[in-house]
Amino acid sequence: MCGTLIVGSPQEPGTLNPLLASASIEDAISSLSIEGLVQVNEKGEYQAVLAEALPTVSADGLVGDVQITPGVKFSDGSDFTCADVKFTLDATLSDLSQASTSGYGDIDSLECPDDLTVVATFAQAYAPYLRLFSYILPDTAGEIAALDTWEYNRQPIGTGPFMVQEWAAGDAITLVRNPNYRVAGQPYLDSVIIKILPSREVGMQLLGTGEIGALWDLTEADFGALAQMKEQGVAYVAAVTGENELLVLNFADPAVDAPADPASAPHPILSDLAVRQALQMGIDKQKIVDALLSGNVRVGTTVLPTGEFACQQPASVFDAEQAKDLLESAGWLPGADGIREKDGKRLSLKIATTTGNQLREQTEQVLVEMMRNIGVEFVIDNVPSDVLFAGWDSAGMRKHGAFDVLLYTTGPGIDPDSHLFGNYHSARIPTAENEGTGNNYSRYINAEVDAAIDAAAGITDVAQRKELYCKVAAQINSDIPRIYLYERLLITGYRTNIQNFVVSPGASDFAWGAQNWWLKP
Amino acid sequence: MMDENSSSCIPFLIILPMATYLLRRSLQALLTLFAISIILFGLISSAPGGIMSAYAENTDMTPQDIARLRAKYGLDDPIPLRYAKWLGNTLRGDWGNSFVSKRPALDEIADRLPNTMLLMGVMLVVTLLIAVPLGILSAIKQYTWFDHVSTTLAFAGQSLPVFWFGLLLIIIFSVTLRGGDGKPLLPGSGMYTLGAPFSLLDRVKHLILPVAMLAFVSAAGYMRYLRSAMLDVIHEDYVRTARAKGLRERAVICKHALRNALIPLVTLVGLDLPSLFGGALFTETIFAWPGIGRLYFNAALKTDYPVVMAVLVIYSGLIILSSLLVDVLYAALDPRIRLA
Repeated sequence: MCGTLIVGSPQEPGTLNPLLASASIEDAISSLSIEGLVQVNEKGEYQAVLAEALPTVSADGLVGDVQITPGVKFSDGSDFTCADVKFTLDATLSDLSQASTSGYGDIDSLECPDDLTVVATFAQAYAPYLRLFSYILPDTAGEIAALDTWEYNRQPIGTGPFMVQEWAAGDAITLVRNPNYRVAGQPYLDSVIIKILPSREVGMQLLGTGEIGALWDLTEADFGALAQMKEQGVAYVAAVTGENELLVLNFADPAVDAPADPASAPHPILSDLAVRQALQMGIDKQKIVDALLSGNVRVGTTVLPTGEFACQQPASVFDAEQAKDLLESAGWLPGADGIREKDGKRLSLKIATTTGNQLREQTEQVLVEMMRNIGVEFVIDNVPSDVLFAGWDSAGMRKHGAFDVLLYTTGPGIDPDSHLFGNYHSARIPTAENEGTGNNYSRYINAEVDAAIDAAAGITDVAQRKELYCKVAAQINSDIPRIYLYERLLITGYRTNIQNFVVSPGASDFAWGAQNWWLKP
Repeated sequence: MMDENSSSCIPFLIILPMATYLLRRSLQALLTLFAISIILFGLISSAPGGIMSAYAENTDMTPQDIARLRAKYGLDDPIPLRYAKWLGNTLRGDWGNSFVSKRPALDEIADRLPNTMLLMGVMLVVTLLIAVPLGILSAIKQYTWFDHVSTTLAFAGQSLPVFWFGLLLIIIFSVTLRGGDGKPLLPGSGMYTLGAPFSLLDRVKHLILPVAMLAFVSAAGYMRYLRSAMLDVIHEDYVRTARAKGLRERAVICKHALRNALIPLVTLVGLDLPSLFGGALFTETIFAWPGIGRLYFNAALKTDYPVVMAVLVIYSGLIILSSLLVDVLYAALDPRIRLA
């Protein structure tokens, strides 16, 4: 009825099955076809989609209850019932699934008292229960034991506004209206074509000429180009991802391989809280945002995302003089070349990020200047992203603690539960014993933080959880295992003739609202 | 009687050494392929990153989830064992499934092969159509303005960085220059206009820029090669003899000089034939052409080794095969060459 939208994607998805997806582009594209009981809207809030209301759990968090919206059909015409929810659970927990089983694994039994009622009994309370069933697979998708070879994987059957008509490998994926969509008259667009592009640069150029209508997966580095294209009828939407561009500070001696407790092998410089405070105080975050990001993002203040679990923390103070004082009183005195020294040791740290990322490289250069100003030397020592993010087996520098300072992006997304546990809990320090499990690369240990994260994981009441996370966030900010530089955005460029173009920050919710998109002729 | 004997003898004398030669070369080729596959597999498997790095920041993945995935992809086996399994399966005709799409690696290749063959085939034909006449003309008109211009162009073609030249073409023909309807003069990406019904003209239009870029660069090489081969040949005694016999210049060039000068070109073209399969990474990347080059590149980025290995081993096999073919063809074309 209202035309075809061509969306450019710099990557080709391997699959559109959420259980096999490993790249966010796969979730984003499949979200045009596949919906869940609950999804995240463009403001980062949970919304009931295929359920009458948000699922509820009993006070002890052990029994969950969902009422399914009646009359919902899959694109193949079959009814959506509780049996599909059960199938989704079974498939998620099967051997070939590549999806996270967090929470799903805690479900002892899932009963269907009638077609539209789902009752799940949990073995233990799962705090972020709302993130479960953000995708629903129809029980006609195929034999679970043959998950890898389902036709569904390239032609998913869902309740969403569009369905895959054709997938030309390496070229384009054509999605057309789902005739059984639950809202009569929607979606407005006849079709959405995902055009697979070799790079963002090519995509930006096609967006300018109008050969594509929208371009997914841009970054803050593209702000400049996007601003220049305003004249050509290009705009962008930016969703807060709940992630920060940040510095990870190593509390342990980088020369020692993966110590479980940094107290046994402390970092010669960074183990001192006064030094970490001085580093944070010496960084003018607002200047980084203004100089490199045209002032378009907010400075980082906390690990907690905006949205349901937001907990405002005071922004760190930029005060170079006080930073110098802190270093002086910690015994670091200016040396001959202006870099401070203590007991013959220079205040020199290596900073590493991923090579080839221009924005990060510029950020490093600004940081080097700011650090030199307070008498600290940052030596840039970048590595390819495969090396920076390598796993335990590949001698990953993060996993083995072989670094001083790292610069990259991470964050909790919507619900902070697993991120806080994985990144700040002492049980998640990668060591030889746990074969490198966990992302607590600072090797940060704080008993109160551990206790609060554990406590929050056992309750489902949002207000109580929020209070505990607030405490954790405040404690982290006073211990400074990480310095949050700025909040990361998910940026999608689009041509202004596309109406109602909103996107959600969660990749699997990218097409939240796609049924409302239409093209102004 | 004598005649009959000798005529049945000669083919036998030629075929027997040829057969042993082919057998020996084939065995060598298999050994080479085997060695190549070991080196490639070792390199890919020991590179950091890989399929698991996609889950590095995903704290919702439990340690059990990670363990299950590692088992699914056989990542817990030592690399020699993984290679042995890969080799065993491949010898039985199973090239494995892509880690990313879970589809058979050969299906992934088959999907893109027609696209690559179209691009490279058209390119090769256009290249020869440009390079052969230019090479001949600039050799027989040596040191004329025509020779200077075409040699300079050839130099430029060989020295231009492909990606830069490609982007330049896009800027000129798809951004700056506009057709009558205000749309870009030539499309700068893809194989056809998305969402439009099939049209041959549309396909041809999409071929123009990538083929122009590739053909310009490789025609330059062919042309310079043919020119120097022609120059060598036209100073040979037999060409002078042909002229002395009073043959027309056209016959001298076409029948006597060109046929001999083309022999080295056979090598060049023959060795380029595998690229009909391998594609051209830069061209496919710049012009968003869905071919094998990009498939391979993306698979390498994701350490999707079933696909990487399949592309590389087939490509290596084709290179070995085509060089063998060139050698055999050479012997057929040039009686002075004996295979032994």
